[in-house]
Amino acid sequence: MKPILEVKGLTRIHGTECPSCLDMTGPEHDTNVCPACGSVVAAANVSFSLQPGEILGIMGESGSGKSTVVKTLYFDQAPSRGSAIFRDGDQNHELFNLNGAEQRWLRNHRFGMVYQNPNLGLNFGISAGGNIAERLLMNDLNHYGDIRRRAGELLTRTDVMVSRMDESPKQFSGGMQQRVQIAKALATRPPLLYLDEVTTGLDLSVQARILDLILEIQHELGTAMIVVTHDLGVIRLLASRTLVMKYGRVIESGLTDQILEDPQQAYTQQLVASTL
Amino acid sequence: MNPNYQLTDSQDSYGFGFLDEFAKREIRRVILKAISIPGYQTPYASREMPMGRGFGTGGLQLTLSMIGPEDTLKVIDQGSDDSVNAVNLRKFAELTCPDVSTTESTTEATLIQTRHRVPEIALREDQVLNLQVPYPDPLVIVEPSEAKRKIMHGEGDYARLLTKLYEDLVKFDEITISHRYPTRINGHYVIDPSPIPRYDVPKLHQSQALLLFGAGREKKIYAVPPYTNAEPLVFDDVPFRTENFYNADGKRRACNRCGSTNSFLDELNLEDGSKAWQCSDTDFCNRQLARTDAGEVTQ
Repeated sequence: MKPILEVKGLTRIHGTECPSCLDMTGPEHDTNVCPACGSVVAAANVSFSLQPGEILGIMGESGSGKSTVVKTLYFDQAPSRGSAIFRDGDQNHELFNLNGAEQRWLRNHRFGMVYQNPNLGLNFGISAGGNIAERLLMNDLNHYGDIRRRAGELLTRTDVMVSRMDESPKQFSGGMQQRVQIAKALATRPPLLYLDEVTTGLDLSVQARILDLILEIQHELGTAMIVVTHDLGVIRLLASRTLVMKYGRVIESGLTDQILEDPQQAYTQQLVASTL
Repeated sequence: MNPNYQLTDSQDSYGFGFLDEFAKREIRRVILKAISIPGYQTPYASREMPMGRGFGTGGLQLTLSMIGPEDTLKVIDQGSDDSVNAVNLRKFAELTCPDVSTTESTTEATLIQTRHRVPEIALREDQVLNLQVPYPDPLVIVEPSEAKRKIMHGEGDYARLLTKLYEDLVKFDEITISHRYPTRINGHYVIDPSPIPRYDVPKLHQSQALLLFGAGREKKIYAVPPYTNAEPLVFDDVPFRTENFYNADGKRRACNRCGSTNSFLDELNLEDGSKAWQCSDTDFCNRQLARTDAGEVTQ
């Protein structure tokens, strides 16, 4: 089976890049700020592939570049260098060579994103149903009755009471807001879903329910996902393979069990030990 | 208007139609571009006019750059030839465009400048309608950044505008936009058709006359060329609805002056506290009245 997403050499540098940026930063230099020019290397030479229906975990501390990877793949940011091929049926999309309209089309039709902060993923000025409607309308569904029905189905699927679909997400709890975000991301049945710290800041029982929901969706729809988190529990539960990032570099990658049971890098060992 | 004010007599100071020839040429070019890209908000260098922006300077610049001595001009404000804005703009045109005749008749006019209404009588191919526009961009309610709005227009991305309609239907079971109804021109660009009531939106569709929109303060000109599709933004299963003027018994109200039941009505508060309805288009109302008096129309 061919991978649904193949990322090669993804690099994102903030600032006036210089030739020594990549050489003088990274875990071995213990910094991601280039001492020569002061640029911040958010991600450097990140490469990985993702199979259809697979969940890939990206783990690392704050500022390690894990969110940057997902944000460039979702076109929230442009990468400095690198390539990413998204396979959609027979079509291969070279993500970073597409024009704005093509990127927007993929983003609206084929990708889904759930942010850590519901403020980014949801429009609090409109109702929960309206948020889902917006995404359906972007997909050229233009029938009010169908939109209502579909939004209701999605909210039911993500355990949000349909009776509250016409309320603003402002009035929802954090867990509910996150579930509305998931419903919105799933509205178009995307083959690829990005989850950026979805459970951070939620209490444990709510976290468990959201993780269950994500697993159920993966089994049901066969959606491939990239899960970004600093929570090892989430990685253990969801991801079959994991990347560990530090200072913008992938320092370790492999099967999740292997990484958690037998970490090779000192940093990963520290990370695993610290949660026990 | 100061009745004693005289424009300078010197022919060198002001050309025909107040605007200098360079300004007119620029506006004419922009008009041609706007016609070529139906619904596209073409930027132009809106000139300082001797009146405040927001008082119809956009429409006036369109009119003054197009008008010639052989033209007959009609100026209306909310359908009426006699309201302040219309009277002042007409006087200004009379003052600055010698030999141009003005009229209150919709059928005699070749050039019609209007605020908030499209005349009731269908316009012809040899007529041009200039609408005064306060806010040209329909996306302004959903996106504050103009740079982003331009991209959205370019890509035909109006999902967020439709989301606004969705929210209306959820809250009120009805789309609550009474005027400035977003309308898709020629299958792509969505325009703000200036504050005309919903009642007038269908008149934009396949209109015989050229419709031009001028926003003086916002420095934009756009056009609905003759015989062009203009479709109000709606859902497939929620048809577009115009004002119906039904009373509590479900009966169409009639104009209390001419008795017409097929025109846009203004609601008036009478001195005794009661309400009355009257045609907003005064020329249409007068015509109906004349026909009734002549016995052509039976009530």
